[in-house]
Amino acid sequence: MTKKLLTQIKNEWRSNLWLGVELLLVSVVLWYVADYLFTNTAIYLEPRGFDISHTYLIGMDELTEASPDYHPYTDVEKEQGEEKLELLNRIQHRPEVEAASLSSNSYPYNGSNSSMALGLYGDTLVAPRLTIRRMATPDFVRVFRYEGVNGETPEQLAEILERNEMLVSDNIFQRYGHKASEFVGQTLYANQDTTQTIRLGASLKPVRYGDFHSLGGSVSTSILMKLPERYLSWAEELCVRVKADQDVNFIENLKRDADSQLRVGNMYITSIRSFEDQRNAFQQGQMSNMRSYYTGMGFLMLNVFLGLLGTFWFRTQQRRGEIALHKIHGATNGAVFSRLVCEGLWLLLLVTPLALIIDYNLAHLELNSYYYGSYDDLPRLLLCAAIAFVLIALMILIGIGIPARQAMKIQPAEALHDE
Amino acid sequence: MAEWWDNIKRLTMIKQYFQQAMAQLRQHPIISGVTVVGTAMAIFLIMLLVMMQQVKEVPFAPESNRDRLLHVQWMSIGHTDWGDDSTSNGPMSAQTAKECFQSLTTPEAVTVFSFISALPASLPGQPTTLIDVKPVDDQFFHVFDFTFLDGKPFDHAVLESARPVAIITKNVARAIFGTAEGVVGKEFQISHAPYKVVGVVKDVSTLADNAYAQCWIPYTTSSAMAGDWNIYMGEFSATILAKSRSDFDAIREEVNRKRDEFNKIIESSGFKLIYRNRPYDQLKHSITTAANIEPDVAAARRQRIIIFAILLLVPAINLSSMTQSRLRQRIAEIGVRRAFGSTRGSILGQILAENFIVTLLAGILGLLMSVAFAYLGNGILFSNATSYDLTPPMVDASILIHWSTFGWALFFCFVLNLLSTGLPAWRASRINIVGALNGRLYN
Repeated sequence: MTKKLLTQIKNEWRSNLWLGVELLLVSVVLWYVADYLFTNTAIYLEPRGFDISHTYLIGMDELTEASPDYHPYTDVEKEQGEEKLELLNRIQHRPEVEAASLSSNSYPYNGSNSSMALGLYGDTLVAPRLTIRRMATPDFVRVFRYEGVNGETPEQLAEILERNEMLVSDNIFQRYGHKASEFVGQTLYANQDTTQTIRLGASLKPVRYGDFHSLGGSVSTSILMKLPERYLSWAEELCVRVKADQDVNFIENLKRDADSQLRVGNMYITSIRSFEDQRNAFQQGQMSNMRSYYTGMGFLMLNVFLGLLGTFWFRTQQRRGEIALHKIHGATNGAVFSRLVCEGLWLLLLVTPLALIIDYNLAHLELNSYYYGSYDDLPRLLLCAAIAFVLIALMILIGIGIPARQAMKIQPAEALHDE
Repeated sequence: MAEWWDNIKRLTMIKQYFQQAMAQLRQHPIISGVTVVGTAMAIFLIMLLVMMQQVKEVPFAPESNRDRLLHVQWMSIGHTDWGDDSTSNGPMSAQTAKECFQSLTTPEAVTVFSFISALPASLPGQPTTLIDVKPVDDQFFHVFDFTFLDGKPFDHAVLESARPVAIITKNVARAIFGTAEGVVGKEFQISHAPYKVVGVVKDVSTLADNAYAQCWIPYTTSSAMAGDWNIYMGEFSATILAKSRSDFDAIREEVNRKRDEFNKIIESSGFKLIYRNRPYDQLKHSITTAANIEPDVAAARRQRIIIFAILLLVPAINLSSMTQSRLRQRIAEIGVRRAFGSTRGSILGQILAENFIVTLLAGILGLLMSVAFAYLGNGILFSNATSYDLTPPMVDASILIHWSTFGWALFFCFVLNLLSTGLPAWRASRINIVGALNGRLYN
């Protein structure tokens, strides 16, 4: 059976060449797309290290001199800091609020960041250069439900911050083969300055920068410190966690009270946004890339379907007599169907080794997606090639299936009545 | 007389091609369906890509001068103490903007402005609404051509004396005053400070991302002036309007000269401005994602070409295989025509023309689909990777549809047709007449 099929494929090589070239091209492109989607989905699904359900970002601004309500400061930093603390205080006392915090370049899905150099034992262990430094009031860890690697709850972590101790992500010394949790209780140096020391209070489950920033990437190491009082005036971020059972109309209610209850000195509230929205806005680019790749995938699959449907529609028409003869010689409907479908699948099988060679070379040239230190990781390559293969096979099955079902209905007596 | 007759003949021929194409479409409904869907899908996706690219570079109001614009949205600053690869990146300060850009003499105009912020606006004592406010200078209204429904832009004296005036869009006027008529001269509050309306303009799409805002105020009245984090970097960007594109080199030269002079003056502070080949033209500006990364225009173009090639090639192979099968059934007809003296060229031309009619019909379908999708799916299609705004951009015909849009659609139909029909048609035109009359395609 297989041998007969292969001979038939060879005999019709001219039109099969078209199909073969198409299947080859589609195999390679679909592998590339599958590789991108696999890599990004795998990164997307990694643990995030924070929780944004029921959380909100509140924007603050200050009045300018043009406003009749403006009052001049005598000590800008001190008074602004006090006003922000008072605003935080008022929000914390709203009954539906579970926790609220002030911070600088800290909240998740944030385009801005700060970094800090950090070392242990002088220069023996040094945190990577792009280690994110977050500075926040202690309740920040309760807002985003950070967790310690030794099972510390957000509440316990908040107490540690309150004591002016530092939290670092567990992967901060990963390149030396050490976990940060080994050094809890020890003193770290900041900015290569031996006089600037701070005690390590606990080690955090790593906190990701965004949904498409992998744990193995460069901005996944982080430091969290208590926001010093003198920096309070710099804190631009006010983040809130609302109690899960009271998270209804939070934005509307807060907006309603913004003018009457939430103006402190020159400070006032501008915008309130859920972190779901903040996340979607932050990742518009990547999400639209993912969508484009899915669309491309759909387009290619549709083309395989259409191509095989068209070609085999012609073929079954041309082979009416031949199929009728098969049936006379005892071929069941199933046999007619599977013979046609197998012809398509064999074509795909024949081009697959070629496609694999091209895939491997593209990966070797690092033209595909990067994931955990490599482009041409063999298991990933095979997996993504297999995904592409299965998707194309499925389209072949449907594309040939339609004309093959028509072929099953051929009445031998009618088809052969000219002979 | 002869010319007239030729024209009639040509018309008859086109009509015949058309009839033949239609007859073929009817003959094999499944194959016709496959051909039309395949072609329409390809043109649909290609035109979506074309439109996504066009909204970034093709001029439309109020960015009607995009061809002549040069942008300095951000820059970088280095310091002798920071090491070579350490820079701070972002918008510039008002002083840098003044010294390095407002002083340029080659361009027609230079505008300096800050970025938009969502600020509360209202009538005194009323609940506030957030509107996107952009602090700008008076030249902004020369560089960008807003449609003023009422009032006019503010002038340089207003900017200098920091008078609190505002130009608002029709929608903002409605939201705050309940009407867009006669609001010029009225007062409202932005960030709890009083502003007087001096102009009402037509709403602007977020796709015009340099000009976009819902309210424009003199930057001297905003907090942007206080946003300088040192005297060189702050919250300002500059856009230069050249007299013509041919002045771009001269402008760049002058910009670089000003920068070098400025760097010389500030040398003793240890700071140094770094432009990374700015100012950028509209195309390069549109793919800039970060202040410290110079975009690679050639790589972006290469990527687009590869995507277009895949979108064209895969369906072309498909269609080609079907054209081949269809021609095989018409082989006797072609043989007869050859036997009666048709030239190879006329056979080739006929097959290409017949197929082009089908491609064009399906292409029009694809183009219509893409325009419809652009209207309905504008949020999905034109989401801005560097923006924090989630509202879908406003689109209209003036933004989406240009003569070049039709040009591109026609071009891609033509290429697709050539790719899918060229080879089979060429082979069919070269058949052996005797063989063909016997129904054989290959000798």
